[in-house]
Amino acid sequence: MILALALSMVVTQGYAPQRQGLDPLEAEKEARVMRLGKQLRCAVCQGVSIADSPASMARAQLDKVRELVAEGKSDDEIYEYFVKRYGEWVLLEPTRGGLNSLLWLGPVLLLLIGLGVIVMQSKRKPAAATAAPAPTETPAPPASDDALLAQVRADLEK
Amino acid sequence: MKKLLGPAIALAIIGLLVFVLFKAFGTDPHEVPFMLVGQPASNFKIKRLDTDELVTLDQFKGKPIVLNFWATWCGPCKMEHPVLEQAWRKYGNDAVFLGIVFEDNEQNTKRFLAENGYTFPQLFDPKSTVAVDYGVSGVPETYFITRDGVIQGKVIAPFVDIRQIEVRLKGLLQ
Repeated sequence: MILALALSMVVTQGYAPQRQGLDPLEAEKEARVMRLGKQLRCAVCQGVSIADSPASMARAQLDKVRELVAEGKSDDEIYEYFVKRYGEWVLLEPTRGGLNSLLWLGPVLLLLIGLGVIVMQSKRKPAAATAAPAPTETPAPPASDDALLAQVRADLEK
Repeated sequence: MKKLLGPAIALAIIGLLVFVLFKAFGTDPHEVPFMLVGQPASNFKIKRLDTDELVTLDQFKGKPIVLNFWATWCGPCKMEHPVLEQAWRKYGNDAVFLGIVFEDNEQNTKRFLAENGYTFPQLFDPKSTVAVDYGVSGVPETYFITRDGVIQGKVIAPFVDIRQIEVRLKGLLQ
């Protein structure tokens, strides 16, 4: 029973017959409906906007946008209507403010921190060089080495 | 002090990442949030399928309301219909049971109801905008509304047993 229910939920969700009452607005308002619809997430799809989804739920939500546009509501009022019902989840582009600022500023902040680390490291290098200077030339062999080499040569010639 | 600055920044970044991961794994990304619990239920004015009479939510104030969004193309909706009918027959005097047809046409709905002999009141929402007013995210969904017209909650899964409705109704009937 549960399996049959689960299967039928998957199979039937989103497939609805063409129903009554769909009337597009005049061209300019309809363009606005589609623009707003592109920013709103369809409730039964995977990250698809209500303007792009063929699902019945998206169709109903787009009709609601149409109704609100016809009533003369502003873009913000329409977004607010959907957020009030479905939360910020419904917005495909999160609002800029509050905790969401982290989303927008996070990458920039991380980039700045990375740059800061690079700058700090590059400043540290010369200081380390003065403390322990790296050898620039091969040091001259000590005198005792010359004597040893001469001894080795003499032994080889024997 | 300078020596502590690097580890402090690293710790802050790690803390932030842990927080983001915790938030992300703590929620189901497919779950559609529902924000209307405890909010007043939106009023509507739509027609009753059998009588064509216009019905508003406000006219039922003073009684608990069970509001079921469904469609004939939805298998689980059809499966739960007998359960809702049974609940309506048992509690119909104490609570209001209303079906709201979602994304369907009148002809399909009337035929399905007649064929199966279902009689609890059905309302027809031609553009399904009432469903969006209620934050419906698919069908079937059943809303439980208090006597004062406040949304107590909703059930997204289909009912398979009348006791699932009774549990919710008992709280509303007290």
